[in-house]
This record gives sequence, structure tokens and C-alpha cells, in this order.
Amino acid sequence: MSNDHLNTHTQQGEYIPETYIPHTVSHGTKELWRTFWLLAFVTVIDFAIYFMAPAGMPRNIVFIALGIFKAVLIVGIFMHMKFETSFLRWMIVLPAIIFLSYFVWLLMLEGDYVSISKYF
Amino acid sequence: MADLQTAPISSTWAGGRSPFNVSYGKLMMWIFLLSDAFTFSSLLIGYGAIRFSYAGSSTPWPSPDLVFNHFPFMHGVHLPLLFVSLMTFILIFSSVTMVLAVEAGQRKSNKEVAKYMLLTILGGVAFLSCQAWEWTQFINEGGRLDSNMFNFTPEAYEKAKNLKLGDHVHFTAADHIPGPVPFASLFFIVTGFHGFHVFSGVIINLVIYLNVLRGTYARRGHYEMIEKVGLYWHFVDLVWVFVFTFYYLI
Repeated sequence: MSNDHLNTHTQQGEYIPETYIPHTVSHGTKELWRTFWLLAFVTVIDFAIYFMAPAGMPRNIVFIALGIFKAVLIVGIFMHMKFETSFLRWMIVLPAIIFLSYFVWLLMLEGDYVSISKYF
Repeated sequence: MADLQTAPISSTWAGGRSPFNVSYGKLMMWIFLLSDAFTFSSLLIGYGAIRFSYAGSSTPWPSPDLVFNHFPFMHGVHLPLLFVSLMTFILIFSSVTMVLAVEAGQRKSNKEVAKYMLLTILGGVAFLSCQAWEWTQFINEGGRLDSNMFNFTPEAYEKAKNLKLGDHVHFTAADHIPGPVPFASLFFIVTGFHGFHVFSGVIINLVIYLNVLRGTYARRGHYEMIEKVGLYWHFVDLVWVFVFTFYYLI
């Protein structure tokens, strides 16, 4: 690669801004496989609920809750967020939570209003 | 000046160390993913608002149950959710092989990194093939960006009411009536945008895989690059969790 020379003189763990690479250690594969089986299991649960429970808001809320659970597993373990510093964790997660909850509330209200004013 | 240099650095932000304890590239990847999460959630929330706005309409939102109920080589059989569940499993599996490549990189095992990167690429290609098949089905049955033949007459809904998994079902053209256009266009936009992310992820993984084979990272002494593409690849899986939830389950 053309930018090989940038990294050849940088030792892992040595602090030089912009080329600093922290020393990483393996946490083993056990937890990764466990997460994989858990994700697959939750998908099977999704599948079962879809055919067993009647369609409606309660079922939808269960699906969304399971989706958020899967998202936490993926971000926390697959994306290593669990092992990052809390500064990084909150810098990424907090804006997403604030933006999402506000925007979801706002646009559900809007969709509801359009429906009521057009069809009821 | 001498005092400053010998004083122990106690604060995270006092300098001389990386406050987040990550590399520059990884931090920027996280910030990019945050912005990408905003883009995807805007699409999905917009989808939700439009779907909500059709409540009570004379052309209601079609039930995904009756639209995405196909499976390859099982023509005319009512199998909703089965094919997308398979796609979900493929993506989860390619996620675990990706994270295993990251783990192998932390142990600096070039051979294992190459093996798991190859499996990840194959998973991505399999997912894209499934999506191509799904799109072909949808287009053949009348889904378009600017029109949608995907709604059913009340009689057809009545016929479909007691359908069970694995029942034989055949809708004719007379059963279909025009449905909400955003149903089809948002399907193409949301799954298309996600599919394009998968496609670019496969290309990026391929470049990294070739670098691994050439020994670029072994020479460099660390496998940081694998972690960065891993973040991107897992993000694609993360988005699919929500596309799956909002498009097929609800």
C-alpha cells in the first residue's frame, strides 16, 4: 500500500497523535460465539412470535424491544463498545439516543395527525 | 517548563495521551457510523410516519405477510418471513466471522485473519444474492419506484385470512388493486440503501483481504485495519436488524 511508510516507524502503544495505535488484546472467542447464538436465538423468537401472537401494537412493541436488544449485543460485543472508554461510548451512543427518541416521537405524531385529518 | 514536563499527567484531557484510547482512524470511523446511523434512522422513521399516515385510508398499507411470502423453489407456497430470516442468519453469520477475523488480528495470526475475511466476504455475497432474488420477485409482481400494485381486494384479504405457514396460495391479477405508492418506493429506497452498504462493505472487505494475503498488516505489525472495516461491517448488520423489524415483522 502507498501509505505503508506512515506506519512503519510507529510502535504499537507509543503516543504520537494521528498515528497512535493502542495495544489491543484478544478477549477470546467464547463470548463472540455466545453472542452469535444469542442473536440467532432472538431471531428464532421473533419468528415464533410472528406466527403465534396476533398482529397489533403489543406484538410490535415486543419486536422493537427485541430489535433494540439485538442492537445492544451487536454494538456492545461485536463492535467492541463494551471495551472502549466511557468517554467514547457516551459520545457515540448519547447523540443517537437523543436524536432517535425525539425524532421518533415527533414523526409518529405527524403521521398520526395526517391520518386523522385525511381519513377521520 | 521543566516542571511541566516532569509533572505526572493526571487528567484524561491534559495531553500526552489519547483521551479516547483509540486510534485516529477508529475514532473517525465511529463518527462516520454515527452520521450513517442518523441517515438510516431518518429513512426508517420517515417510513414509519408515512405508514402511520395511511391508517384509516381506503387504500391501506399492504400486509407484508402477503407480499414477502416467497421462498426459492417453493412456488405458490405461503412462506412469509422465512426467506428474510434466512438472510438475517446469513448476515449474523458473516458478522461473527468478521469479529473472529478481528480477534485473530489481535493475536497477529495472518492465516486465520485471511480465512475469516474470506468467509465474511462469502457471507456478504450470499446476502446480496438473496436480496437480488427478493427484488426480482417484488418487481415481477408489480412493485415499482413510482407505482405499486401491491394491495389486495377485501375478498382477497378474506381468502388470505386463515392462511397458515406452508399453505398453497395463488393470487391472480384480479385480487390486486393499486396500493400506497410509498410502500414500494420506500422498500426500494431503504433496502436498496442498505444493500448498497453491504455491496460497498464487500468491496472494502475484498481490498483488506487482498492486503492480508499480501502480508501488508503482518509487515505493519498490527491489524488495526481489520477492526475498522469490522466496525463498518457490523454496522451493516445493525441496520439490517431494524430493516428486518420494521419492514417484515411489523
